[in-house]
Amino acid sequence: MRKIILFMMLLCVSAISSAQKVTVSAVNQPAAQVFRTIIAQTGKNFVYSSDLLRNVKVSVKAHNRPLKKVLAEMLRGTGIDFKIKGRNVILKCKTLPLPERPASRRRKAPVYEAEDTVTELNEVIVVSRLEASTVETGEIGAKKITAEEVKNIPSLFGESDVIKAVQMQPGVIEGTEGMAGMYVHGGNADENMYMLDNVPLYQVNHFGGLFSAFNTDVIRYIDFFKSSVPAKYDGRLSSFMDVRLKNGQPEGHHGSARLGLTSGAFNISGPIGENTSYLIGLRRSWYEVLSIPLLALVNASTDEEKIKFRYSFMDLNAKVSHRFTKDLNAFVNVYFGNDVLKTGSEDKVDSGSDWYSKYKFDLMWGNILAQLGLNYRIAPDLTAEFTAAYTRCFSSLRNDELDQYHYSETVTETHNIMKTVNNVNDWIFRGDFDWSPKGNYRMRFGANYVRHSFLPQRTSRAYTFNDTHITSRDSTWAYGADELNAYMEHDWRISEKWRIDAGVHGSLFHIDGKTYHGISPRLSAAWRPAEGWALKAAYCHTVQYVHQLAQSYLALPTDQWIPISGHFKPQTADKVSLGLYWQSADGQLRASAEGYYKSMNHLIEYADEYYLRPPLEMWNARLTSGRGIAKGIDISVEKSMGKLTGHVGYSLAWADRTFAEKNGGRTYPARFDNRHTINVTLHWDINDKVQLNAAWTGHSGNRFTLLPQVWTAPGFGSQYQYDGDEVPLIAGINNYQLPFYHRLDLACTVRNKRGYWTFGLYNAYCHMNTIAVRRSYRTEVEVRPDGLSYVSRPVFQKVKLLPVIPSISYTWQF
Amino acid sequence: MAILRNICIALLAVVLTGCYEDFTPDIDVKPVLCMNSLITAGRPIEVAVTRTVLYTDENQDFTVNDARITIYVNDEAKDADYIPREGDRIRLIAESNTYGSAQAEVVVPYSVKGGSFNWRPYLTDVRRDDSIGYDMCATIQFNLEASLTIDDSASEENYYRFAYISSHPHYGDDDMSGLSFHTGTFRYESEPIFAEHIGVFDSMMGGDAYGFTFFTDRQFNGDNYTLHLQYSDCQYSVASPVWSDELLDCEVEFTLYSVSKSYYNLAIYMWHRDYGSLEELGNIGLGDPIWGYSNVSTGAGVVAAQSYTTYKLSLRDFLMENLSEKNSCRAMAMSLRRKI
Repeated sequence: MRKIILFMMLLCVSAISSAQKVTVSAVNQPAAQVFRTIIAQTGKNFVYSSDLLRNVKVSVKAHNRPLKKVLAEMLRGTGIDFKIKGRNVILKCKTLPLPERPASRRRKAPVYEAEDTVTELNEVIVVSRLEASTVETGEIGAKKITAEEVKNIPSLFGESDVIKAVQMQPGVIEGTEGMAGMYVHGGNADENMYMLDNVPLYQVNHFGGLFSAFNTDVIRYIDFFKSSVPAKYDGRLSSFMDVRLKNGQPEGHHGSARLGLTSGAFNISGPIGENTSYLIGLRRSWYEVLSIPLLALVNASTDEEKIKFRYSFMDLNAKVSHRFTKDLNAFVNVYFGNDVLKTGSEDKVDSGSDWYSKYKFDLMWGNILAQLGLNYRIAPDLTAEFTAAYTRCFSSLRNDELDQYHYSETVTETHNIMKTVNNVNDWIFRGDFDWSPKGNYRMRFGANYVRHSFLPQRTSRAYTFNDTHITSRDSTWAYGADELNAYMEHDWRISEKWRIDAGVHGSLFHIDGKTYHGISPRLSAAWRPAEGWALKAAYCHTVQYVHQLAQSYLALPTDQWIPISGHFKPQTADKVSLGLYWQSADGQLRASAEGYYKSMNHLIEYADEYYLRPPLEMWNARLTSGRGIAKGIDISVEKSMGKLTGHVGYSLAWADRTFAEKNGGRTYPARFDNRHTINVTLHWDINDKVQLNAAWTGHSGNRFTLLPQVWTAPGFGSQYQYDGDEVPLIAGINNYQLPFYHRLDLACTVRNKRGYWTFGLYNAYCHMNTIAVRRSYRTEVEVRPDGLSYVSRPVFQKVKLLPVIPSISYTWQF
Repeated sequence: MAILRNICIALLAVVLTGCYEDFTPDIDVKPVLCMNSLITAGRPIEVAVTRTVLYTDENQDFTVNDARITIYVNDEAKDADYIPREGDRIRLIAESNTYGSAQAEVVVPYSVKGGSFNWRPYLTDVRRDDSIGYDMCATIQFNLEASLTIDDSASEENYYRFAYISSHPHYGDDDMSGLSFHTGTFRYESEPIFAEHIGVFDSMMGGDAYGFTFFTDRQFNGDNYTLHLQYSDCQYSVASPVWSDELLDCEVEFTLYSVSKSYYNLAIYMWHRDYGSLEELGNIGLGDPIWGYSNVSTGAGVVAAQSYTTYKLSLRDFLMENLSEKNSCRAMAMSLRRKI
C-alpha cells in the first residue's frame, strides 16, 4: 500500500520550477558565453534557434541564486523569454512571433529541435546524442543521466556513484549487494564498456567494487546504451557507458570541497586567459586517519608483533580546454585512479633463542588515462572529434616474508619474495565525424585504431634458505594486439512519423598471427503514430574481443583482462528490441515499455572445476565457451519536472546459459537471473534549502549453487588424511533462488549559505538481505544424566550482509 | 601472509556479525552411490562403497548393505583377488538395489624409471653431553638437501606425489629410550613445483604450499626435472651406555608416486577446500561454491591409482663422521678401546 501511495504521489504532485542554484558574474558579455557558465554548473541544455542570440549581450551578477531568477534578470530587456523544462532551458523570442509553419512542421516536438539547435552556440561543442526525449530519438534502451541525477540517488556511505545510479535503470542488475557491478540484460560484468570522454577504462572500481572510479563532482553527464547501440560503439556485448566530464568554467574560479565518511573530494575550475579553462577534481579516501592511530594504540600495547596496515584510494581528474576559434576546440584530459593496500608485521622474540619475523604485503592497482581531443567544425554541416589517448590498467603485488631464527651458534634464515604484475595498455587514435547536410538527415562516421598490449600475469618468486637461493618465474604471456574499427551511421527522418537509424560497425582484431573480424549491423526504426507516442524496433549485433577473468564477484586487482586467443572465437550478441513510448504534452511525464531478446554466442567463462588446473597453464585451458539467452521487458515511468520528481522501473527478465562443459551440458539459469526487478527513485525539493531523496529497490533473489548432499572422502593413506571428511556432492549450477531482495535508501540534503550537508541512510529499514547460503554447524546444549553435552548439528544458514548504514557529508561550495 | 586473510575476515565479520540464519532449503535430493578406491600396482584392490546423505541429516548413515562390485581390467572381468599392474585400465562398477549403480575407470600409471637421486647433509650443530657412563652421548643437528631427478615420459600428462619417511631400526626398542631421529622441517617452499597449483589470488589471500607435494609434468613434459628437497633442523640424538654402530643406522626413505589424474584432482580440491579462498568466498556469496571432485559416474567418490618408486638415503656414514670428529664421548670410547 505504501508503494502505491508513493507512486501516486509521484504522478500527482504538480510541477514547480527548478530551484537549482547558480553563481555567475558577467558584464556586457555575449549571452552564449554566459550560458556556457550555467551549463557547466547545472548540466542544463540551452535550446534556441540559431539567430536568436546573435549580438545579444547580457549583464548579471548572482551568487548561489535560483537559476530561474538569474535567467530572468539576465534576459531582462533582451526580448528573449525562457522556459525551464526538465534538463532543457528553451529560449524564445518574446516580441516577435515565430514564423508561421505548416501544420505538419508545428507538430515537431520542441525537444527534437534541441538536438539540432543546441550546437548553435556558435562554436563546436560535444553534446549527448540523447538530448531529445525518448519519443523523439531512434534509440531503444538509451538514457542520458546528468551528474545531478546521480547525486540525487542515495548510496552506500553517502558516496554518490555513477554505476550505482545506472543500476537503478530497468534491465540493469547490481549483482552482489553493495558492489558497483553491473549486469545488463542477462550479460556478464565484463560485457559493459565504460568510457571517460569516449576513451575506455578497464578498471572502474575502488575498494573491491564498493565504489566506482568516477568522481561525480567532475562529471557532466553519462550516456548509457543497453539495447540499440549506436554504430560508433562496439567491443562489448551488453552495454556502453560514456561518462562525459565537465569543461572548466569560463567565468571565475569555482569549485567545491566535500568531506564524507569514507572520502574527501576537492574540485575547482575556472578560466586561464580568455579562451582557456581548466578543471581539476581530486577524491581520496581517508581511512588512514582512523587506521593509523588505531594501529599505533594496538602496537603500543604489545612488545611482540607490530602490525602495519594502510589502505587508500584516490581519483585525480584534470582537464584543460582551449578554444582556438569558434570552430576549433581542443582539450587535454588526464585521469589517474588507484588503490593502495599495504600490510605487514614485525615480530621479535628474545627468550633463549631469538626469533625475528618480518612480513610485508604491498598491493597497488588502478587506471591511468591521458587524452588529447580536438573538436573541429570543418564545414557548417560537418563537425569532427579527433582523439589520441593512452589508457593503462595495472596492478602489482609484492609479498615479502623474512624469518630469522638464532639458536646457539646456528642462524637459520628464510626469505620468500613473490611479485606479480598484470596490466593492459591501449594506445588509441580515433576520428569521429558528424555530417548534417539536410535538416532531416544526419550521418555519423569514423574510424579508430587501437594498439593493445596485454600482460595478464607475470609472477616471479625468490626463495632463500641460508645459502640456498632459488628463483622461478612463471611464463610471461605478453600479447600485443592491433584493433581497427570503422563505422557509419545514417540517421534519416523520412517523415514526421518515421525515423530510421541504420549503421554498421566493422572491426578487425589481430593477435598472435590470427586476425578476427566482426561486422556489426545496427538498425532502428521509430514510428510516431500520434503526438507524444512512439513505437520503435531495433536490431543490434555486437562483438567482444577481450574478456575479464575473475574468481569472485568482488572487483579485485587479480582479475585479468585477456584477449581472445587459441581456439576461442570472439564473443557476439544479437539483440532484437521493441519499445513503446509515451510522453505527456508538457514533457513532465514519460513512460516506456521495452521488450528485448538477446542471443549471446561464444561466451567465455571458467569451466566447471577450473581450479583443478594449475594457474600457470595457458588461461585458455581453464575456460570454456558456450551461449546464453536473455529476454524480458523493461517498463519505466518517469516524472522529470516539478518539486517532486522520480522514476519507477520494472523489469521482467529471463537469462540462462548453456555450456557444453558446464552443468553437464544442460542449460542453467544465470546467477543474476532475477525474474522481477522494481526500482523506485524519488527526489523531493521540499524548499530552497532541503531536498529529500529516496530509492527503493527490490528484485527476485539471485541464483545460487546449493550443494545439499555430501559424501565421504577417501583417505588414500596420504599424510593429509582426508578419510571421513564430508565432501559436497555436485549439483545443478544456480539451482537455488535466494529470497526476494529489497531495501530502501534515504538521503537528505540541507543547504546553507556556503554549501550543503548530506545525511544518508543505506538500507533504512534494516532489512538484511540474503546473499548466500552456507553449510555450517549449530552448537546445541543437551542435558544428559551425566551432565551437559555440547552437540554440533549441521545446518544450512542464510548469509546476510549489510544492515542499516548511516552516512554524513558536507560540501562547501565556492 | 595470513595477516591479509585475517584482515579480510575481520572486515567481513564487522558486517556479518550475527547475520546468519538457520533454515531448511526446499530442494529435492536423491541419494546416490559413492565409490572410493586407491588402486596401487602390486597390491590387491580395495573398494569402499557408501552413499550420499543430506548434509543436515541428524544421523548421517553412509552405509550401503547391498552393494555388489565388479572389477574389469582392460575390459575383462576379474576376480576380487586380482593384483593390478602398471598400465592396467581398470573399471569398477558398484551396484545396489536401493541406490542404483556407479562406475569409474582409471589407468594405473607407470612408475618413474631410472631417476637419479643425490643428497647432501650438512652439519649445523653438534651438542655434546659428557655424562659419565654413556659410551654414545650426543645430539647432532643438521640440515639435509636432496635432489631427485624425474625422467618424464612425453606421451601423456603425468601426475606425481612426493612423500618421505624417516626411520631407525631400533627406534622404539625398550632399551633405546635415549635414541631419537627426525628429519625436522621439510621446506616445502624450496621446491617451487609444489606451489604450481596456487594462483595469485590464493597467494594474495595467504595460501601456501605447506603440506602439499602433488605436482604435474606440465612444466617439463617429456623432459627431466629435478626436485630440490630441503630439510632443516634435522636431529639425531643418542644416549647409549654401549657403543653400537647399529645406532647410526638412520634412514630417510623418499617415495615418488606416479598418481592418476583423479588422485591429483582430489588433492587439489582438498587443498582449495582447506587452504584456498574459493570456498570461503562461496560461503559469503562473493564467489561460486566449489564441490568435491569426483570421477565416479554419480559424482560421489574417487577411484584413483598409483605406482611408486622408492629411494633410500642412509645417514650412517655422515653420523659416524661427525661423532668421531666432534664428540668427545666417542673419542674417549675409542681411546679406551685402544688402551684395552
